[in-house]
Amino acid sequence: MADWRGERKARDARIEAGRAHAQGKVVPADAAVALLEAVLKPGDRVCLEGDNQKQADCLARALSQCDPAKVNGLHMVQSGIVLPEHLDVFETGIAERLDYSYSGPQGARVAKMLYGGQIKLGAVHTYLELFARYFIDLTPHVALIAGVSADREGNLYTGPNTEDTPTIVEATHFKNGVVVAQVNEIVDKVPRVDIPGDRVDFVVEADTPFFVEPLFTRDPAAMTETQILIAMMAIKGIYAEYGVRRLNHGIGFGTAAIELLLPTYGEKLGLKGEIATHFALNPHPTLIPAIESGWVKQVHCFGSEVGMDRYIRERSDVFFTGADGSLRSNRALCQTAGLYACDMFIGATLQIDLMGHSSTVTQSRVAGFGGAPNMGSDPHGRRHPSDAWMKAGREAQVVGDPALMRGRKLVVQLVETFGDGLVPTFVERLDAMELAKKIGLELAPVMIYADDVTHIVTEEGIANLLLCRDADDREQAIRGVAGYTEIGRGRDRAKVEELRARGIIRRPEDLGIEPLDADRSLLAARSIKDLVHWSGGLYEPPAKFRNW
Amino acid sequence: MAGPDRDCLSWFEASARQRLDALLDAGTFREAIGPAERRMSPHLPLFDLPCAFDDGIVVGSGALDGRTVFVAAQEGRFMGGAFGEVHGGKLVGMLRAAVEAKPEAVLLLFDTGGVRLQEANAGETAIAETMRAITEARAAGVPVIGLIGGRAGCYGGGGLIAGTCSRLAVSEGGRISVSGPEVIETNKGAEEFDSRDRALVWRTMGGKHRRLIGGADAFCDDTVAAFRAAALDLIGRAPAFDLAMLEAEQARLRARIDRFGDCRDATEIWARLGVNDPEAVPAMDTRAFEETVARVEEARHDAR
Repeated sequence: MADWRGERKARDARIEAGRAHAQGKVVPADAAVALLEAVLKPGDRVCLEGDNQKQADCLARALSQCDPAKVNGLHMVQSGIVLPEHLDVFETGIAERLDYSYSGPQGARVAKMLYGGQIKLGAVHTYLELFARYFIDLTPHVALIAGVSADREGNLYTGPNTEDTPTIVEATHFKNGVVVAQVNEIVDKVPRVDIPGDRVDFVVEADTPFFVEPLFTRDPAAMTETQILIAMMAIKGIYAEYGVRRLNHGIGFGTAAIELLLPTYGEKLGLKGEIATHFALNPHPTLIPAIESGWVKQVHCFGSEVGMDRYIRERSDVFFTGADGSLRSNRALCQTAGLYACDMFIGATLQIDLMGHSSTVTQSRVAGFGGAPNMGSDPHGRRHPSDAWMKAGREAQVVGDPALMRGRKLVVQLVETFGDGLVPTFVERLDAMELAKKIGLELAPVMIYADDVTHIVTEEGIANLLLCRDADDREQAIRGVAGYTEIGRGRDRAKVEELRARGIIRRPEDLGIEPLDADRSLLAARSIKDLVHWSGGLYEPPAKFRNW
Repeated sequence: MAGPDRDCLSWFEASARQRLDALLDAGTFREAIGPAERRMSPHLPLFDLPCAFDDGIVVGSGALDGRTVFVAAQEGRFMGGAFGEVHGGKLVGMLRAAVEAKPEAVLLLFDTGGVRLQEANAGETAIAETMRAITEARAAGVPVIGLIGGRAGCYGGGGLIAGTCSRLAVSEGGRISVSGPEVIETNKGAEEFDSRDRALVWRTMGGKHRRLIGGADAFCDDTVAAFRAAALDLIGRAPAFDLAMLEAEQARLRARIDRFGDCRDATEIWARLGVNDPEAVPAMDTRAFEETVARVEEARHDAR
């Protein structure tokens, strides 16, 4: 007779083996390697929590120190490839297969190891997509997660950077998996229970607090006049035009400039309360002036940001906080919010082609996607109207019964025509396609597909792709804002002027913006210290962002 | 920027020309060898690099509270305010003219990373000539006041030149040193000096530290008005330039290295200076900081 409880028995056996290295659930840091060697089996699917920000670094080190004779051939299913140890395990044979989302700082090494065949890649996912697969065909056998503190029962306080943890635990624990958490300290009572103790099998008291990267801090001192001009155009030509209230911002300087212009330029245009009131967004320090001057009503966060804890605690009308007062973030839910409940995604990219496909992949780096493709896509499952969404829908709709018209998500690319090192942003062919060929990817790593993009904003103007009616309109609209890049210089001048007359291309002067007004004096804060002042001393920037 | 309102115009943010316009009495600035004359670097085109019509420095004369002053302002946004041949030539020429014309003072608005690598020999020569010209101006009785609070700071040869000035005023954002943070890190390693730890950079080279150890003689808010007030004050109490003063300066520098040479961090120096809560210094506002300075002996020296 078939055994319908085999997985459960196997799980109980793993936990039994692990108990030898634990006192109850608690495992000292120096026994972490032995614990992992006891609970892991060759070929296991393992989620080593590597988030966008928070890293289970103590467990990552322990995994990389396991004996490859005992632990090998693992299939890693984790959102972030961020620490060197995340890749070291593939060099020693401890791990073999990989499904992930984001690899920021390790992008170059990922590319090399994919090319060298050390990593067998499943796919590069978006966050939501990978989380979804945790529940269908990539369910972890073992999850190695990170929290701030735990009690002896395993009740876990994740701290403000909750991020992926609830999703990982949900998928692992409820499908016969083993959950191992590293915490900074074991306490008698946790400040709040983010993960109930019966879902956590082992708690490792880490030797050092887990690593968190301040990924969302943009120093206003580094903001350029070109970025300010682009931000002014976006506010006047898109935010105001569509009345965008619910939105998500990318992490670049362009959107940070918009955040800093809301209380100054936005105020002057009389837009307060009309735009940018509700965000799916990490707690960007550059959002502080807009919050303090009453622009922002509510922000739900994917994760937290280093230095923002005290500020968030004192602004619980704006942020989601627990009974203990600290931020509760949740990447899966915030990604869902960004996808379905926001009318606009606006962010930067590295390359845009003539159709409007964009990518952050270059020939030598596989940076992954993170969440941008979720936020930067038109959700076909959306069924609630809003003025911004309906207006975008009307602009795009050309055929069919108006009664059956639906809206469109605004997906805006905010780029300078030349990026870092004067590399052109506009290209004939995305590097992503070369890379896909080189390392044999079936699907080219495109960040946002052309059919999702609605606007491209550069220092030369705004291209409204919703209003384009054919491929030629579209190509010339893109060329028409591509400045002095090869793509921009290859424009059909007469056609571009025609597009301008049709309102598809709009220059700063068409919007009533004088480029010389794009001055740093318009920024509500011009330094990190200004942000500290705006926050009433509640924002505590990390040392790398201070100039005092 | 809409009109030079010196009360709120940020020195750190302003261009060299905006600083001069707002620093001097309205309408009094007269530029020498201005951009219209197109005296540009002969070296940069060899490297396919763009030139500036003023080679990144504005020199001339004007009035400060009715008194004639000669001025030079470096533009930190052109090649980091670095010294090249024309840039240095304009500065040295202005200083030599000051020896003849004897204005009330010379004001040097530093904003520089040091010497331009593309014209290093000419730049290094310019540094040496500038230091000699400053001592000649001071010997002729013309005080030379340095004002430091720009984005590029005052590094390399600029740091050496600053050391020869009669008096220096600095803001919190201003930095004075010779080797920059990245140079130190490259040569000595990140363990010795982590250039990305900006709090470390500022407490080692920033305005507050320089003021506390007597490297600068005035600390001002980051506004052009504050620098103007500091300049007026410092002109009034510029030291003489004679053998006795040079010997006093030598003794002061000797005492500084004897007393602090073994410190590993600026906060240790501040503690030895008698600052009660050294860790609190970086976050202090100007007023609290001035009160701290008033209690520190080294900050009140008279030598230069």
